[in-house]
Amino acid sequence: MSNTLRISIDGKEKEAQAGDSILQAHLKGDETVTANIGCMGQGVCGACRCLVRKEGERETATRLACETLAEEGMQVSFMDYYQPARVSRYGLEDIRDGWEWMKHLRDVFPEASNCRHCSGCDRACPKGITVQEGIALASRGELQAAAEVFDACIMCNLCTLACPENIRPNHVGLFLRRAHAAQTLRPGDLLRRLDQQRRGELAIDLSAVPTAQGERA
Amino acid sequence: MTQATTAIPHAEALARLASGATPTLRKSGLSRELLLERYHPDHAPAAAATLQIGANAGERCHPTLAELLQANALIDGFDLAGAEQLSTDVLVIGGGGAGAAAALTAASHGADVIMACKLRLGDSNTVMAEGGIQAALGRDDSPQRHFEDTLRGGHYRADPLLVAQLASDAPDAIRWLIELGMHFDVTDAATDGGTLRYKQAGGCTQPRILSYRDYTGLEMMRVLRETVELDPAIRLLNRCPAVELLSHDDGSCAGAVLFDLEYQRFVVVSARSVILATGGCGRLHLQGFPTSNHYGATADGLVLAYRLGAKLRDLDSFQYHPTGIAFPSRLAGGLISEAARSCGAWLINGLGERFIDELAPRDVVTAAILRECADGRGIERDGRIGVFLDTPRLARQWPEGIEHHLPALAHLAAKCGIDPATEPMLVYPTLHYQNGGVVIDGEGRSTVPGLLCAGEVSGGIHGRNRLMGNALLDIIAFGRRAGQRAAEDIGKRPLRRGDIEHVYSWQRTLVQSGLPRQARAPRLYPGPGHYPLHRNERSLA
Repeated sequence: MSNTLRISIDGKEKEAQAGDSILQAHLKGDETVTANIGCMGQGVCGACRCLVRKEGERETATRLACETLAEEGMQVSFMDYYQPARVSRYGLEDIRDGWEWMKHLRDVFPEASNCRHCSGCDRACPKGITVQEGIALASRGELQAAAEVFDACIMCNLCTLACPENIRPNHVGLFLRRAHAAQTLRPGDLLRRLDQQRRGELAIDLSAVPTAQGERA
Repeated sequence: MTQATTAIPHAEALARLASGATPTLRKSGLSRELLLERYHPDHAPAAAATLQIGANAGERCHPTLAELLQANALIDGFDLAGAEQLSTDVLVIGGGGAGAAAALTAASHGADVIMACKLRLGDSNTVMAEGGIQAALGRDDSPQRHFEDTLRGGHYRADPLLVAQLASDAPDAIRWLIELGMHFDVTDAATDGGTLRYKQAGGCTQPRILSYRDYTGLEMMRVLRETVELDPAIRLLNRCPAVELLSHDDGSCAGAVLFDLEYQRFVVVSARSVILATGGCGRLHLQGFPTSNHYGATADGLVLAYRLGAKLRDLDSFQYHPTGIAFPSRLAGGLISEAARSCGAWLINGLGERFIDELAPRDVVTAAILRECADGRGIERDGRIGVFLDTPRLARQWPEGIEHHLPALAHLAAKCGIDPATEPMLVYPTLHYQNGGVVIDGEGRSTVPGLLCAGEVSGGIHGRNRLMGNALLDIIAFGRRAGQRAAEDIGKRPLRRGDIEHVYSWQRTLVQSGLPRQARAPRLYPGPGHYPLHRNERSLA
């Protein structure tokens, strides 16, 4: 376990132990980390996105530092988050009308039909999502299937950075997912319970504070 | 963390488990009360201190937290000279689910909102939540039962009014989330609009956990974040930790001082109301325990509120989640969701025995695991001690279950280098949640006028032990309540520049009480504390 290796993070040499993630190596030393860090290993927040080049390789890859093991000679560069110059604006009303889905999609994300199939988004995704296929499905009008492609998306925006046509694929995916839930999810049990509460039923009796007798053995 | 010097070797325990004998549930021999008293970390001698100053002087508090609560401020009056000035109706501090719910609700009720995040909007415990959110929707279930389960789970120490609101707000909170575009798992989608899928939680009399796969928090947070970012009434300030609150002459809250890490300068935000949604304190690693918490969980909100005079409660009560990863050490403390036990996975000690009802309340299960480890029945692997979470048995009984319903567990096991279908994971309790916090009323108001709280930073909702699924509910239910209250108070609260008179008064109290003035808080980030604000401070000292 005491296998020391050296990696370079944002131009600084760091020592790490075999088995450390890039993020753990980054945290060693006396500088406090104040950005590009979040869930620290769960791989769900996307904060620690970075470019990684392995020793002896020419290609760089986009990775999550908390999910990637440090290797001898690795070069790492964290990628800051910034607000993109042009944000697709849509309101809740735009995701609530199921008859106008395709129009709203076109209005909010007009670039989505310009995909040139370069696969840059697929290569950029640290979660292995088939982003390009999702965009293709969306521009063909297969909106539900497209939404499903982005099910495990953590919104790290790496596909958005990679896209030469400024498509913002993860935001297209989230738009479709949100529209699908907002328009179609009407669970009967929830409707009934809300209606009971509206009629004043099921108010809580504060005096009925339970006692320890009711505990399970 | 105190661990036993003796434990059963991993290989031996593994062989015993693989022998195929059905584990029996050993009789505890201790009442739940005694089990908690002897083995729960809250009851350890190292967990007891008494606050000397502030609104809770004389009350019990965890010593690590007490040190921060009784510390000096990070800034002084001259730091405010030349600072950028902003003003708004409502300032929300904290970028997790509670902050987002509060900001969106305040904005939808007509308020101008500034949302200040220490890291980035969404970087929070919310996004990491796997299990789900409680709402009593089943035919045999009711808000009343939800209320009673929550009170019982919290050992009858919660504020019944807050718990009643939590339980009755739940159905509408789910509706609100769906309206924003959040998905939930549904069964029987063909009939009657479908029924939401309910999972069982420990300590509950009915299955009422709603979820989206086992990344409910991710689904919730990505929807909330997108909604906030697209809302023109909310101005988002990322990488701007709050370093101090501002006060008016009458002691009420007047806004906050932020430190903008991008530009390395202070920003003074005057606000009619401030909503603290800063979360918990897992990254303080109380008593050396590993934590499941997000990097930013450093108790900042408690420190800021306490210095301004807010009353806190239950500062000696924390939740240690039973199933943190014990091996490998680089993932130690990472959470294995209660969903695994909820689906039927057992806990097994080194002797191949079950030793607790796996769905007992979390504090009881934690105490039981710590007892096994303290008494030498734990399992040791490369110096790490824990007990088994028997996923292989679950996989045999429910072959497609792990892959389809517990994908996050499968993902986590893969990172540990384990196939959960054939090998059990080694687990040990991990610091998970701050049960106490700032005292609030039913609308999220603290005892300081103009200062509201929502989410983990507030106290009284969960008593001394929180049930699975009540945290995600808490942040939405009380986030919305606080946001609405703050927006409705626009006409009643002044928008004038405040000051830090309360800090000077605090410093006088420190001197009078003989407490050190060198210790500074809030901590903001774990680790050595070398960031620009502190460099600035040293050069001024």
